[in-house]
Amino acid sequence: MDIDRRAFIASLGGTAAVSLMDSEAKADALEHWMEDQLDQQGATAQGTAEKFPTVAELEAQIETRNYRRGAGNVFVNTRGNVRKLEPMPKNPTLKDFFRLRFAPANHVLQSATRAMKTGMSEEIILACLLHDCAQALMKADHGWWGAQLFEPYIPEKSTFGIRYHQALRFYADSDAGYEYPDLYYRIFGQDYVPPPHIEATYKMLRNHKWYMEPRLVTVNDLYAFDPNAKVSIDPFEDIIGRHFKQPKEGLGNDNSPSAHMWRTLANPDAPL
Amino acid sequence: MKAVLGAIFLVGLATQTSRPTNYKGLEITVLGIERAQNVPLLDCPPGSNSQRGNARGGEEFAVVNIAFKVTPAFKETIVKKPTLTDASGKTYNTSVAIIDPGSQPEYKCSFPFRVPAGTKVGSVQIETATIDLASLDKK
Repeated sequence: MDIDRRAFIASLGGTAAVSLMDSEAKADALEHWMEDQLDQQGATAQGTAEKFPTVAELEAQIETRNYRRGAGNVFVNTRGNVRKLEPMPKNPTLKDFFRLRFAPANHVLQSATRAMKTGMSEEIILACLLHDCAQALMKADHGWWGAQLFEPYIPEKSTFGIRYHQALRFYADSDAGYEYPDLYYRIFGQDYVPPPHIEATYKMLRNHKWYMEPRLVTVNDLYAFDPNAKVSIDPFEDIIGRHFKQPKEGLGNDNSPSAHMWRTLANPDAPL
Repeated sequence: MKAVLGAIFLVGLATQTSRPTNYKGLEITVLGIERAQNVPLLDCPPGSNSQRGNARGGEEFAVVNIAFKVTPAFKETIVKKPTLTDASGKTYNTSVAIIDPGSQPEYKCSFPFRVPAGTKVGSVQIETATIDLASLDKK
């Protein structure tokens, strides 16, 4: 694949943003960018109908890999060896994790930017900003992992949005502005049927007073895959300041129910 | 004779789009309506988001293509998503949002509305502006 260097750097927020990234983050960013480009080429080439894999075809690929698709980004490099990570500061903040473990975080930043520009609540904007961050730790069931990771520090509605966006993304809702994306045909299979616990969660949410919290996370999620979008965490500093209870000891050092998850993110090379 | 035919042709072309409607300083012209099962999900003005949406069995997207021109009267504001009303009066929402409508002098956007297959469209609304679509719908 040809790499448009200028477009790639622009997608990360420009040369200044790239200069703040370590080698691992740059490699990850390039990988994500290439995946996005492939997705885009597939969509462009499809004209009328792209051929999507079936669940069985995707399952047949499992033993062709030396990693599992559900493993978090900090543990896996799908195109070679992992690289040494830059150590976290002594008392790491959320912003430190964005820079050193979640980077480039382009998708979540785009998602939160859209939520902000369309006038959504600060709880929703924060949920959009954080909704996929747990994929650094674990991709499988990332909504629940993410909610657990952030729950001690953020408003209840934001946690609710992060946890349940995972279930709602499988169910289109035109009234709310969410369509079923090609991406899920591609990565789950065209004939994928959500498992019973997801179906049960969906039914519960349809009658829940906070249904729109996770729904709006999915709405912004869908429109946050633009490889040319220029985004930054800076516009969200005030919202983070107002709604994220940053522990003075640093994330991972505060003995919260999810402190161990932050420590794992900080040091994923620990053998035990 | 050629001139007459040319004039008829031009009139024919002119009827393919709506008359421009000015709303909050945005000149809005509906360019046409298409039907699709799979649509790009691009906000308005469009960027390069790579995702596409899919209609389910028995449904389709009625895609309303709209041209926007920002006139000097436009003042920066939030413009809500359009809604579609079908011939029977039922309304439908779109996933496409209008974001930073004054960021470019002119642009074209496609607004997909997931409707039951074969739905006859009536009009599109952008906040309080209503544009008739019945004459543009080829269904």
